[in-house]
Amino acid sequence: MNFIRVTKRDDLPVRMEVIIRLVAIVLSLIAAGIVILVFGVDPVRIFKSIIEGSLGTTLRIQQTVVKAVPLIITSLGIMVAFKMKFWNIGAEGQITMGALAATWVALFMSDSMPLFAKLLLMALASMVAGGLWAFIPAFFKAKMGTNETIFTLMMNYIAIKFVTYLQYGPWKDPNSNGFPKIAPFPENAILPSLFGVHIGWIIAIICAILIYLFMTHTKKGYEIAVVGESTETARYAGMDIGKIIIIAMFVSGGLCGLVGMIQASAIEKTLVSGIANGYGFTAIITAWLAKLNPVIIIVVCLAFSMLIQGGAYIQIAMNVPSAVSSIVQGIILFFIMGAEFFLQYKVGFRHNEAKEVA
Amino acid sequence: MKKVLAILLALVMVFAFAACGSTPAEDDGAADAAELTVGFIFIGAINDGGYTQAHYDGMKAMEDYFGGKVATKYLENVNDSDKQASLDAARNLIDQGCNVIVGCSYGFMDALDELANSGDYDDVKFLHFSGNKMNDKNFGNFFGAIEQPRYLSGMVAGSMTKSNKLGYVGAFPYTEVQIGINAFTLGAQSVNPDAEVKVVYINSWGDPEAEKAAAEQLLAEGCDIIAQHSDSTGPQLAAQDAGAYAIGYNYNNPVAADAYLTAPIWHHEKFLIPTIESILAGKWTPESYYGSMSEGYVDLAPMTDLVPADVQDKVNAVKEKMVSGEFEPFSGKIEYADGSILCEDGQTLDRGQIWAIDKLVKGAVGVN
Amino acid sequence: MQNQAIETKENNIAIEMKGISKSFGALKANNNVNLTVFDGEVHALLGENGAGKSTLMNMLSGIYTPDEGTIAIHGRSVSFSSPKDSIKLGIGMIHQHFKLVDVMTAKENIIIGQPTDFVIKGKALTKKVKELSDRYGLDIDPDKKVYEMSVGEKQTLEIIKVLFRGARILIMDEPTAVLTPQEIKKLFGVIRNMKAQGCAVVIITHKMNEVMEISDRVTVLRKGESIETVVKNEVDIPKLIEMMVGKKVDLAIHKESFPKSEPLLKMDGVTVLDAEGKSALSDINFDLYPNEIVGVAGVANSGQKELCESIAGLVKADKGRIFFEGENIVGKTPRDIIVLGIRMGFIPEDRLGMGLVGGMDIVHNLILKDYQNQPGIRLRRGPCIEKAKKIVEQLDIMTPSIYTPVKRLSGGNIQKVLLGREIDSAPKVLITAYPVRGLDIGASYKIYDLLNEQKKNGVGVLFVGEDLDVLMDLCDRIIVLCHGEITGIVNPSEVTKEDIGLLMTGHRLEQEEE
Repeated sequence: MNFIRVTKRDDLPVRMEVIIRLVAIVLSLIAAGIVILVFGVDPVRIFKSIIEGSLGTTLRIQQTVVKAVPLIITSLGIMVAFKMKFWNIGAEGQITMGALAATWVALFMSDSMPLFAKLLLMALASMVAGGLWAFIPAFFKAKMGTNETIFTLMMNYIAIKFVTYLQYGPWKDPNSNGFPKIAPFPENAILPSLFGVHIGWIIAIICAILIYLFMTHTKKGYEIAVVGESTETARYAGMDIGKIIIIAMFVSGGLCGLVGMIQASAIEKTLVSGIANGYGFTAIITAWLAKLNPVIIIVVCLAFSMLIQGGAYIQIAMNVPSAVSSIVQGIILFFIMGAEFFLQYKVGFRHNEAKEVA
Repeated sequence: MKKVLAILLALVMVFAFAACGSTPAEDDGAADAAELTVGFIFIGAINDGGYTQAHYDGMKAMEDYFGGKVATKYLENVNDSDKQASLDAARNLIDQGCNVIVGCSYGFMDALDELANSGDYDDVKFLHFSGNKMNDKNFGNFFGAIEQPRYLSGMVAGSMTKSNKLGYVGAFPYTEVQIGINAFTLGAQSVNPDAEVKVVYINSWGDPEAEKAAAEQLLAEGCDIIAQHSDSTGPQLAAQDAGAYAIGYNYNNPVAADAYLTAPIWHHEKFLIPTIESILAGKWTPESYYGSMSEGYVDLAPMTDLVPADVQDKVNAVKEKMVSGEFEPFSGKIEYADGSILCEDGQTLDRGQIWAIDKLVKGAVGVN
Repeated sequence: MQNQAIETKENNIAIEMKGISKSFGALKANNNVNLTVFDGEVHALLGENGAGKSTLMNMLSGIYTPDEGTIAIHGRSVSFSSPKDSIKLGIGMIHQHFKLVDVMTAKENIIIGQPTDFVIKGKALTKKVKELSDRYGLDIDPDKKVYEMSVGEKQTLEIIKVLFRGARILIMDEPTAVLTPQEIKKLFGVIRNMKAQGCAVVIITHKMNEVMEISDRVTVLRKGESIETVVKNEVDIPKLIEMMVGKKVDLAIHKESFPKSEPLLKMDGVTVLDAEGKSALSDINFDLYPNEIVGVAGVANSGQKELCESIAGLVKADKGRIFFEGENIVGKTPRDIIVLGIRMGFIPEDRLGMGLVGGMDIVHNLILKDYQNQPGIRLRRGPCIEKAKKIVEQLDIMTPSIYTPVKRLSGGNIQKVLLGREIDSAPKVLITAYPVRGLDIGASYKIYDLLNEQKKNGVGVLFVGEDLDVLMDLCDRIIVLCHGEITGIVNPSEVTKEDIGLLMTGHRLEQEEE
């Protein structure tokens, strides 16, 4: 530790920022290339294939978009909480509870209801459920100062296990020969498609616009940002911090809940315990990489989905083991996240007589 | 810093040359020449030594048989409880030129069903293993009478147990699994009326750790032979560690050589080859295939030397009767554990009746 | 006598720093700085905030390594790569923030990190500590736990710690900032003892009076460069300030008196309890009138924070009443105060942590006090953009634009943004806590002028300060706090600094109140 010293950067010229990011991308490609070579495949072809596989045809673009939708909306939800420095890592649970509420509407309310009425009801139910699931840790944080990180994390398991219980117990589909699954949604509970992708993509764009407006053009959004910067300042300015935390978390959880509804209605067409599928955690990365900016979130999530879709493509096209595409994704991510570290901190080496490197 | 950069640059150049040097496009040619490209979706890794490897070997055998006329592509480690992943896998395979999609796990069923009936893929044929959904234009399913070799493996276990307690690691309390447990129990009781079967469900098709833990629980309860309906070799290894015997599943894989007795196994090529042949010939129509021991689609792996010769003889005798169609596991009077009747005296259950089984027979107890 | 000491040791150069430069990124913290310190001398290092004093001393204590230049200790050229090297050569630094372990005793703190035997030889250690204390006139109980110590005692312990490690060269970074006048006197006694023993002492400070009192020679730094080294007896304060600031500064604080009218703010038996239920503020009674500046003096953490926050509504008074123009405002939250239009401004001690949002620009910091009164849910920036432009212009705030995050601004400009916002709301009562802390002299006097201007406009100003000279020059009355109680309300023209010092430590004066 004596040789390395890490100090926080305050102000970095834009030019340096760009250079660091570019270096990170180049390094990630080199490192990934080494791994690919070890597996005996041509790295250049792999990288070309990843782009081709994610954007090459209409279908591939659709596939990329489908993957980006839940990621975008979850990232938006997480962003609202993170802006407040409320570390909501409970998006998984909020997605699951949202899906649960949507499923309840889908399965137990009239099958003859018009499509959009039912979908609207499902969306509302999912947002309320996700919001309530986030409200619980927010309430305890606001009133008793509990640690939200552990609280929200634990709430994930409760939600997921509760759905497992329903799946194996009361909601088990009697027509599944005993296989523990919940009955499929009726026709009027399934999200329609537009341009080959379910309309979740439109919802994602609307959400991004709304959240952008909420965060930058409303008093609540401003309050959330102030609380995130300094609770003392918020107190000084007469803000009701507890209430702000609760409202922000309700919005955050509500968005995540909506993801649950979209995934259950458009993809699974039923409820499964794995509905959240890790989006709640991946979205932490994407929200962070996007610097908590709703517009950049869309870009980052699309890039992330390209990586996943491209990874699936190379597996088939080049016959590489699934582990290889996972490693490539991991390496690229590692370097890009690593760059963020160097953007925020500077690292110097010191030797006995050498000067400190700034 | 500069030094590091220099080294990195050098590396980049080396790789650039390496990249230029290698010749691409050799495996592209194969797919182009083929008349048919079959895409497989696997739940596990192709070298898992169990369920997925059995499917993979079937795929390879089929590919070899057609010698270039048929190309294959596959995706491994696709999560079958994640429908998005299942849909993506199928779509990506089709996108890359597959005309036939084979989904090798129960959980892929809804995804394949959705695609087959979507109207977007009418020229693609979907084959699904172990499901019950199909349509009459492009979606069929296939499975086999694995209850036959299960019955035989039950005989082996029943003959060799000392504690009369047989352990069974089950996936889900679902019909397919329950059929297997019942057949195994009936086989064991046919040679040892005192034998009872304890089942622990892991609520997953495959999870090496959970499978191992379930096996350990069963061993702790006094079971001295462990059978399984799950994808990995975890239960066999657990049995070996405890000095007990194990009966595998899916694939003849004696990794736990000190414990491994035999296994009910699949020969998927027995289905794939004729089916692909009829697709090539343009004569295929969706069917619900149910292969038996007579066709060799299911079989009992050769019993190892751990099984005494007299037991082997006894088992082989019954096996012959099964192959010839003289004997079926679900025949004669069979009672459920709750006292209700599964099969009347003199009756033999047909496929529909077998697939209506929803609980365990007398002598088998399951815990979730 | 002091001069003699220097002359006899003239040739014994303790520290010689030549041509020292040090940059942090684009910032040149030190540029070609020269410093020579003799044995047996007290050397003051004088300069405004950001002049490079601390950077220079951190290089001497091995925390930083200079980019250019040489350091020689007792004639030997050295190069430090860590504080350890510097300690070995007998250099000891007393930081502004003490580096002590609270739960340990003085003795334990002294030997921490020292290569000792496995078993701590308690008695021998006590003896050695005692020896050191006697030699330098330091007063310490070796078995007292740090958390039970006063600030002065902690500082004494820090000094013993470095002496124990064999320090012959002592560097003190603003050692008087946290001390009462009495403690300062004691400290200066110790410093004189060390000097008599032949130690070299470097004091970093920006307080003129102290420079004149204790030092033999003064080196003035300005904007990272060493301006001049002078013998103290040959200069006066205005000259030093001119060297420090780079130009002549008018340091007069003009105090005007106004006739008294009805009080704006009336504190009536206000008591505030802390989290443990002990009173942080007890039975506070005073009035604040228009056209006056009332100072609040006291050792750090004597209840100043609670006093300000209870008036501003941030903490609720547990007992007593606070009248604002006759209306009891106890129980009103800051939001109530804003929404009800109670015209009160508050400059909290922690500017970026409480008064402002560091990551936000000037406009958004102005919105902080404005948005509560905006109708609807939409956030309106327009009025605050105008206001921001106005404040930047009026208070002469140096900023690239009104959209620059305030944490990027210098301390003085940050304070001006805060003060500008609070003054803009035309307050009747203005509460300011340490408004010049960390500001350079020019900026400080600008703040004093602004406060005086407010006073002239009829505002009642509560000024919590730490520099008694400033308090006495600026304020019409001074409230002295000790342990949350008012130990006296005095008229600066009738008392001495020492009197206030006594009050600060809990001694009441003979003639109670004014």
